[in-house]
Amino acid sequence: MPVYTVSNVQNLRICVVMVGLPARGKSFISQKIVRYLSWLSIKSKSFNVGNYRRQTGPPQPNAEFFDAKNKEAYKIRQQAVTKAVEDMMNWFVAEQGVVAILDATNSTRERRDWILRLCRENGIEPMFLESWCDDQELVLRNITDVKQTSPDYVGVDPEVAKRDFLERIAKYEEVYEPLDDNIDRDLTFVRLINVAQQVIINKIETYLESRVVFYVMNLHIKPRCIWLSRHGESVYNIEKKIGGDSSLSPRGLQYAKKLPDLVRQSAGDADLTVWTSTLIRTQETAQFLPYKQLQWKALDELDAGVCDGMTYEEIEEKYPEDFKARDEDKYEYRYRGGESYRDVVIRLEPIIMELERQENILIITHQAVLRCIYAYFMNVPQEESPWMSIPLHTLIRLEPRAYGTKVTRIKADIPAVSTYKEKGTSRVGEALTEATKSRHVLTNPSND
Amino acid sequence: MSAILSDDEEGNISISSQSLEHFKATSGNHMARINKRWSSSSSDKRPKLARPTDAVHENITANFISPGQLYSTESGRLFHAGKILIVLVGLPATSKTLLSVAITRYTKWLGVRTRSFHVSEYRRQKSNADSIEFPNDYFSAKPTTERGRKVRKETINQVLTDMIAFFDKDEGQLAIYDALNILEEERSHLDKLFLGLNIKVLFIESVITDPQLIKHNVEMASKSADYQGWTKSEAKSDFMNRLMVNKKLYEEMKPEENLSYLKYINFGEKLIVNNNHYGYLINKIVFFLMNLRDKKGCVYFARCGTSDQDNYIDDEVLNVEGIHYSKVLTDLVLKTINSRRISQCSTPVDVGSWQNSPSSGPTRSASPLIPTSATLRRSESTGNTSMRQPASGDGGDEDSFVVWTAPRKRTYDTAMFFIEKGVNVRQCSQLQQLHPGVVADVSEDEIKHNFPEEYKECLKDPYHYRYPRAESYHDLAVRMEPLLLEMERMRGDILIIGHESTLRVLYGYLMACSCSEIPSLKFTRNELIEISFSPYENKVRRIPIPINQKAS
Repeated sequence: MPVYTVSNVQNLRICVVMVGLPARGKSFISQKIVRYLSWLSIKSKSFNVGNYRRQTGPPQPNAEFFDAKNKEAYKIRQQAVTKAVEDMMNWFVAEQGVVAILDATNSTRERRDWILRLCRENGIEPMFLESWCDDQELVLRNITDVKQTSPDYVGVDPEVAKRDFLERIAKYEEVYEPLDDNIDRDLTFVRLINVAQQVIINKIETYLESRVVFYVMNLHIKPRCIWLSRHGESVYNIEKKIGGDSSLSPRGLQYAKKLPDLVRQSAGDADLTVWTSTLIRTQETAQFLPYKQLQWKALDELDAGVCDGMTYEEIEEKYPEDFKARDEDKYEYRYRGGESYRDVVIRLEPIIMELERQENILIITHQAVLRCIYAYFMNVPQEESPWMSIPLHTLIRLEPRAYGTKVTRIKADIPAVSTYKEKGTSRVGEALTEATKSRHVLTNPSND
Repeated sequence: MSAILSDDEEGNISISSQSLEHFKATSGNHMARINKRWSSSSSDKRPKLARPTDAVHENITANFISPGQLYSTESGRLFHAGKILIVLVGLPATSKTLLSVAITRYTKWLGVRTRSFHVSEYRRQKSNADSIEFPNDYFSAKPTTERGRKVRKETINQVLTDMIAFFDKDEGQLAIYDALNILEEERSHLDKLFLGLNIKVLFIESVITDPQLIKHNVEMASKSADYQGWTKSEAKSDFMNRLMVNKKLYEEMKPEENLSYLKYINFGEKLIVNNNHYGYLINKIVFFLMNLRDKKGCVYFARCGTSDQDNYIDDEVLNVEGIHYSKVLTDLVLKTINSRRISQCSTPVDVGSWQNSPSSGPTRSASPLIPTSATLRRSESTGNTSMRQPASGDGGDEDSFVVWTAPRKRTYDTAMFFIEKGVNVRQCSQLQQLHPGVVADVSEDEIKHNFPEEYKECLKDPYHYRYPRAESYHDLAVRMEPLLLEMERMRGDILIIGHESTLRVLYGYLMACSCSEIPSLKFTRNELIEISFSPYENKVRRIPIPINQKAS
């Protein structure tokens, strides 16, 4: 049985059915929801009907293809959606999925009724999520994005692509039936009008659904950056001990002193807000920064319970079974009397929600916590995120964009010990082998 | 300077070289934090004994810090949202009072300085204190007599004056104005008045079109304090009169009014958010309202059964007494819920056969609880694709009964007899007890002896103080917030079996306790706590657990 962290409702399965014309941000919202729920360990997947259509239909169809009167093309499109829905139903069963997202225009009532019936027959609750927009500026901005990312327009002249795309939208408009307050009053649905200027929420009946709606309402598309850093090297880091509440080493203090310059290099004169944990080493690291600062208990390092204050060697010696168990499933392993990565993710959730809303935040926190935050923005799977190497004395800049996040890292050039521990050893330090290379997301320059 | 820590205090943490030396000398030890996030003067001066009453309507003192407060800003206001006035809009009997009290409870818990202003309370006070007779047309949005207009205007002006004073003098952040406000003209006046004072205005309009809901609400209203000593039918017809007079005058809110509003239709069946510029705090309220339901059931709190060892680090099984306790608890809870259902039910649903059926025979029905009309409705909709399917065990139905337990073994096992009877039992990871850190399994005397400094600090502010490596009650409350919302969403009965620390937090939310009260609330193994809901306040009943009785 899948593990739910947000809502433990047994047997609850939801299909979020996207509704709306092309270039209304449906895929963006779908991907965001999948990222958020996966990060919370709620099994979710997006099924993009466009991808299915490209498999059977022409690779780069023009607007004519999307004319509802084009019988031949209509058949191909019908097959694509049938295949997507079929795969989705299989996914619910085979992978014990909880939230599926059907990412397509689903623009006619006939289509939606068909999906509704199929879902209900399979014991799945459909929730319709419509993005409706008549703000031309917003639509044009989305079109620019689609042109750059859609396989339908690879290698096509931007102007031609734009014209064709507008024409395609017009074809959809001919048959489009938006959700109707009256006709669809018995459905569970959300309508976002011009991003979130007006939001209509109908018949939300479970906590999980309300959670998804709350998340979507907090999304914004303004450009912004997030800066992340671990605390400077601490006394415990040098002593190879984990946890504790020690202060910075002389080199760590050096990093703290250099940090204001590093941040200015990357952020310019922007006014940031600094979030730290409640532990001394992050506050000491932040002490020279000229910005407003807030402490969050939620940003404290993963609690190692009885192993707190021990070295990995000591743990291996004293708790050999625990040491092994942790290496086998680092995400789920909970230290005796302490926390697992999963526990950390749960307590970080309000931070993520707040981060989605805020602009320009600098977070100074700890290795495990940074791995979790980084995993959310970079969509790193659970099996990998606890093994990522995030070195000391490095400032990371994340730039969330519509279809992914851009990462830049700035090294402080102040030496520090490595606190990275490979699987199956109690020694700390990086030993980059071919097999583990993919984990070193941040030390591997090719990923920049 | 208020006692709430400002950005300045919290922000510019300058660590003197002297204290850095101190760190180096003791490095390698667990050190208690030296920078206090919550000022030690935060404890308010109210008596620390647990009150039996709901404190949601109590005024908050200047240095009040709430149970779930994450952080505060320089002005003492949260979420950088500035000052907000929420204006309730709607006909009589549309649950406006319930909504304003529920939002007050939740936002206060989050740390927002909130107060609700009920115009009906002003009227009642006025008529009690000055023994003023309120003319009958006072209850209309447009009184027809001179005197009616005058009294109405005076009362409303009094509320407005008090709200402005709340923002101005009491550092209020969120005021909730509970009155009809069904005329466009009134709303536009409020919007202008408060915008002029740099206070944002959000309207929450409650619209009820479901005849069942209206009937229920009229029924409730005719039993209110206004109709003490009236016969039932007189009360009902008087109230219907209030309703009809205003229905004719009602101007429903529409986008053309150019106001920020939230339409709340049929108690959350549908929500419309219009012109939302206020961000997080309002989104948070919308999220809350999506989960708020009209509750038919109660919330019950109980401790888990005992085990032979009682160590934090071990995960123990129940001992003989513990198993006995679980049995007695199961019987008591089922009996309590069933007898309430019988007393509420106007047409009893085959009670006799339920009571006579042996509790474990083959004829036993799937549920040990008396079916209600909602149970019947549900069995009709199951498998019918034209209707939303019931999610099993999620507590959304008014006749549902769900047991939540903490993840520890003996706590979950305390619910084993519920599982046997087919009741839904859920283990909630958020109910994991407060992490005691270094004082795990240490007696109070030992704490005094081994951690004298920490003990002294803890006494100053037991809610926010963390022993080394431990969670504070505040940390626990923040971690448990999703459960509060799930609890709000459940319409039926919930039994929560948990550690004293987690029960304190949940009780603290439902009864609006202050930070200084929560750590000393008592939940013992000889009492079952029942919290029942009504629009204006929640009520507590303590039911003895007959532990010496033989279990069935």
